[in-house]
Amino acid sequence: MPSVGTTIPHDSAVGHVTGQAYYLDDVPSIAGELHVGFLPSPIACGALTGIDAAAARAIPGVVAVYTVADVPAHNMFGPLAADEPLLADGRLLYVGQPVAIVAAETREALHRGIAAVKLAYAEEPPLLSLEESIDQQRFLGVERRIARGGEIEAELAKAPHRLSGTFHIGGQEQFYLESQAAIAYPGEEGQMVVHSSTQNPTEIQTVVAEMLGVGFHDVVCVTKRMGGGFGGKETQAAIPAMMAALVARKTGRAARVIFDKDTDMCSTGKRHPYLVRWAVGFERDGRIHALKYEFFSNGGCSLDLSPSIMERTLLHADNAYYIPHADFRGRICFTNLPSNTAFRGFGGPQAMAATENIIESIAQHLALDAYDVRRANVYGVADRNVTPYGQIVEKNHLPEIFEQLAASSQYHARRAEIARRNASDPLTLRGLALTGMKFGISFTSKFLNQGNALVNLYTDGTVQVSTGGTEMGQGLNTKIRQMVADEFGLDPSRVRLMPTSTEKNNNTSPTAASASTDLNGAAAVQACQQIKRRLKKFAADRLSDKAEGLTPSPRHVVFAENVVYDRRRPEVRIAFGPLCDEARRERVDLGARGFFATPGIDFNRETGRGTPFFYYTQGAAAVEVAIDRFTGELTVARADLLIDIGRSINPGVDRGQIIGGFIQGMGWVTAEALEYNAQGALLSHSPTTYKIPAVTDVPIDFRLALFDNNDNVQNIRRSKAVGEPPLMLGIAAWTAVKNALSYANAEAATFLSLPATGEEILRCLSFQVPKHPGSPKTASHT
Amino acid sequence: MRDHLLLFINGQRHEVSGRATFVSLSDYLRLHCGLIGTKIVCSEGDCGACTTLVGRPDFARGEFHYVPIDSCIQFLFQLDGTHVVTVEGLRRDGTLNSVQQAMVDCHGSQCGFCTPGFVMAMTGLLEEQETVDENELRTGLTGNLCRCTGYTPILEAGMKSNDAEHERLNELYPAAPLLAEFETLRNEPLALAAEWFGESHVAACPTTLAGALEFLAQHPTATIVAGATDIGVRINKSGRIPPAILDLNRIAELDHVGVGNEEITVGARATWTDILIAIANAPRVASRGKDHRLRPILSDLAEVNGHEVPEQAAPRRHRQDGLGEFARVIATFGARQIRNVGTIAGNIVNASPIADSLPFLYVMDAFIVIAGKDDMRVININDFYHGYKQTDLKPGELVMGVRIPRPKHDDLLRLYKVSRRRDLDISGFTAAVRMQLEGDAITQASIAFGAVGPTVLRAKQTERFLVGEPLTLETMQTAGDIAVSEVTPIDDVRGSAEYRRQLTRNVLLKFYHQTQGHLAPA
Repeated sequence: MPSVGTTIPHDSAVGHVTGQAYYLDDVPSIAGELHVGFLPSPIACGALTGIDAAAARAIPGVVAVYTVADVPAHNMFGPLAADEPLLADGRLLYVGQPVAIVAAETREALHRGIAAVKLAYAEEPPLLSLEESIDQQRFLGVERRIARGGEIEAELAKAPHRLSGTFHIGGQEQFYLESQAAIAYPGEEGQMVVHSSTQNPTEIQTVVAEMLGVGFHDVVCVTKRMGGGFGGKETQAAIPAMMAALVARKTGRAARVIFDKDTDMCSTGKRHPYLVRWAVGFERDGRIHALKYEFFSNGGCSLDLSPSIMERTLLHADNAYYIPHADFRGRICFTNLPSNTAFRGFGGPQAMAATENIIESIAQHLALDAYDVRRANVYGVADRNVTPYGQIVEKNHLPEIFEQLAASSQYHARRAEIARRNASDPLTLRGLALTGMKFGISFTSKFLNQGNALVNLYTDGTVQVSTGGTEMGQGLNTKIRQMVADEFGLDPSRVRLMPTSTEKNNNTSPTAASASTDLNGAAAVQACQQIKRRLKKFAADRLSDKAEGLTPSPRHVVFAENVVYDRRRPEVRIAFGPLCDEARRERVDLGARGFFATPGIDFNRETGRGTPFFYYTQGAAAVEVAIDRFTGELTVARADLLIDIGRSINPGVDRGQIIGGFIQGMGWVTAEALEYNAQGALLSHSPTTYKIPAVTDVPIDFRLALFDNNDNVQNIRRSKAVGEPPLMLGIAAWTAVKNALSYANAEAATFLSLPATGEEILRCLSFQVPKHPGSPKTASHT
Repeated sequence: MRDHLLLFINGQRHEVSGRATFVSLSDYLRLHCGLIGTKIVCSEGDCGACTTLVGRPDFARGEFHYVPIDSCIQFLFQLDGTHVVTVEGLRRDGTLNSVQQAMVDCHGSQCGFCTPGFVMAMTGLLEEQETVDENELRTGLTGNLCRCTGYTPILEAGMKSNDAEHERLNELYPAAPLLAEFETLRNEPLALAAEWFGESHVAACPTTLAGALEFLAQHPTATIVAGATDIGVRINKSGRIPPAILDLNRIAELDHVGVGNEEITVGARATWTDILIAIANAPRVASRGKDHRLRPILSDLAEVNGHEVPEQAAPRRHRQDGLGEFARVIATFGARQIRNVGTIAGNIVNASPIADSLPFLYVMDAFIVIAGKDDMRVININDFYHGYKQTDLKPGELVMGVRIPRPKHDDLLRLYKVSRRRDLDISGFTAAVRMQLEGDAITQASIAFGAVGPTVLRAKQTERFLVGEPLTLETMQTAGDIAVSEVTPIDDVRGSAEYRRQLTRNVLLKFYHQTQGHLAPA
């Protein structure tokens, strides 16, 4: 019985439910270990003129206070450009920026120590909003563009109908439950072992080595698991890891950094807020003729991954729809905020929300049902199937997905019912929308599309697997466990996924872009196949029988059900464990390192053309909302999801990814509002004020179906990536709000920003002047 | 006087004194006991990752009554005489309990960080009732956040664990020996003390009101703690523990909740859960069988929390003279873990203009009962607040309880709480509207708004305008205009001033539409 395709529990499930699964702060302290924290900048912009740590150092239990002057080698770091400081160096860039590191014997001494460090600075007016940054042309990096077809203004002019507007999209906090954390253990001769809650151990190894001024070979990064990542630990685990390593180097003692939730939210980056200027020209039936976009993302104080994120925005501005004439441009705006970073979807969600907003606007303008507009625009199978960047949407199932979901969700009947009820119900306003999703799978930086894996067999027939992929709850280890088990015909319980370590897997890509099962799973399978070749040869000899005329034949050797046999004589079986033991005695190598590089992809970011994606994950969602007409409060009443993830490796894991992703997307578009004051300090910095969906926000009527699809033959086990795509199904909750508002007043719907919070909805219902989201607030009553 | 406290954790006896009596339960578990299954995320009772079960003795029944609480905002000094059960304490001989097994089977965990909290919250639900339906599960889990699963697999696990044999904690941990020891100590007050960083700290845990007042006379500015759901957050975020603490948790005479024909009386120690149970049981003479103790109220809350927005003109639950309306607001107060320890007295004394319960208490003209060393006094809540976070309480005084006139049969009463998220959220706006009609004409009107000024306020001019007017949409529109002129909201993290003005106006219109179904001819 193959394990792939079956629902086995998460490989840490028992640890999770018993509390035995450990996270970094659960690791017992070793003798002399120090608690490490930092003093955050109290201002968003200004010159740092002095740090007085004398009082802090005098506090009993405070061991050291370090500033930029204490950094052994490189203070500047960053994944694309070294433009972000570990510790403030002359300039203060955002509220919450690390200025000084404090190390102490106890947590209490640490808190008192941090409070006792005094700063001198000259405050300057901060740059906080996208509008100001655009006005002042304070951009990070260069403009990127993807375009095709005729000159855009001319093409817009040719269309019989035109609409244009500005769309505001809010950011989103990752809100992984385990905050950023790292523990550093100093070793001999300048070596360092860093345990980090990171999606990117290789990046941690690199930045720690560069900060310390040692070779990469002197640093090992280990990641057992994360309590959630969602992109927030792709690059931003770097600062806590470097802080721990700096203290460990300076003191010679182990050092532990555990951010509390408030510190984490105030000092780390989030999903990028966007300002989108758009203009669309379309036919009388709603078909888009030309679409022009200017995307501006709020990058915060440094580049981080913003250029790659903007690239994915431009590559997803078509979403599920064919755009004959396109001109998409993107710029990253500098602001005095923590550097915004990866978050599930990675720039895709903003682009897709912007396009679904436009489709909804077209429908309202033409008084058409938005579903008909979507169907008119959706990518075709034989024609109208080339993206603006030149990749053909192969094996396109979007038209079928739209039709299946419209039927199964009774979309049309429910729209009619909603119109009827909205006309008479004085308390509640309803809306329904069905939106599409097409998400490209692969890193758009070609070199990252590689994975390596180490597979070790032991003489009892059990297996340890190590890959560069990290486990953050998404079930990567469970899926690889199943694939490896199937390769050797073993029960999955005989396969154990080991902590990720740069010692075992070097030069790894981040666990990101939904591609980790594809890359690391394929690498692990490749390693298994190497070992199998050796074992087959060995087993073939053992299974041969000269007397019976059975010659040794490796190609007839089968691994199944924990035994090995020759297909020509299946009744003679050798148990897998003893076979491994004997193989070792005959000096057969029972370990291998596998490698996989995604074939056939390439993208030229200068020309904006290429085939960046290995394949697309596609889907659609139909969401119904109910709005309290007097308070703007929103209930997501029903959601129907249909998604094509190919052949599921573990339906239980994948279902969890889909539902969880959808709810996370729903939170982004309806409830999760980042509020800052006029000085640039985040006010919504804990779950008291930042509201991710709770259990009662899950639609009572929630239906999920997988689109039956067996044609993704190019990928491992015909599966498709599932990590990020479902988040963008949540966009339907926002378009449903826009649909609901259109019943109250067409004008009301045009101003709706994202997220559609109760306040935002009531503002539209009350026809108030549009405010810019993120306009400053003051502290709150409690 | 004892200088140490005694509690059991997963059946193990812990005598605690000195500095450790001032730490949070979660720190004690993680740092002193090595029980790292209890996770910390927010340190403010807003995520439930630290949920543990606290069993308080029920000497009459000879067992512990276990409820889930947030261990990050519960302190050791509150826990003398309790049995704490953590996620590590659920297994017997290495076998998963029914909730744990169902969570494994249903993919109820992904990253796993919230999982112990959910396991504890669901185990707590099954301690209180044999089975739960999905609505009850949702209501019972509002205090636990998960970022990975979208909750659906967890709800499925909850439903599945219904079907399995569930071993109760009173069976897993026989209560008798623990209770025997607690019985001898139950009337013994505690005086806890410790010194660190050159600062001395004392905490008194008296067993009588007189004892409490005596301590307060010696320490007039002591911080008074019952549930610690607000003070706990303040301690965690500031890193500072008050120098003198008076803990009310062991004073049985403050536990009272009574729902009489004329008024509801609530002692300072009674929790929101206690109040909900009392309201639920008030009209029902049915026996309070232990296993179903929470059943009626959980069902009611589930209905309240149901997702369908009420139909136009469909008569809303209108039970028991508007008591149901009060219960509805309590049902969205914090979450179950918070309601299990938080008190109405704490909500009042915390003096926040966004306190959920206050608008109701304002329009009911509730009385606050205050005790000092030498006398007792009673004050109308409408006179109790002098400004933002300022009350009429004098040093040495404490709130003993509240007396709330019971809503009348013919009161039209509606309470409003607007928050970014319906459950486990702090109000961005609150209101209470209460009217009496004769025919069409309004004869009495009481309107209170919260989160639109430094204190909750009564809209006096609006009330005066309404009396004598017919209850029509036009009347309520005019009332909205007047009300808006009476409020002084600010922009803050929970909403803009403009939003709050709009809500002030809109709830009066909503009240009109909501009550149309109830204007039955006399």
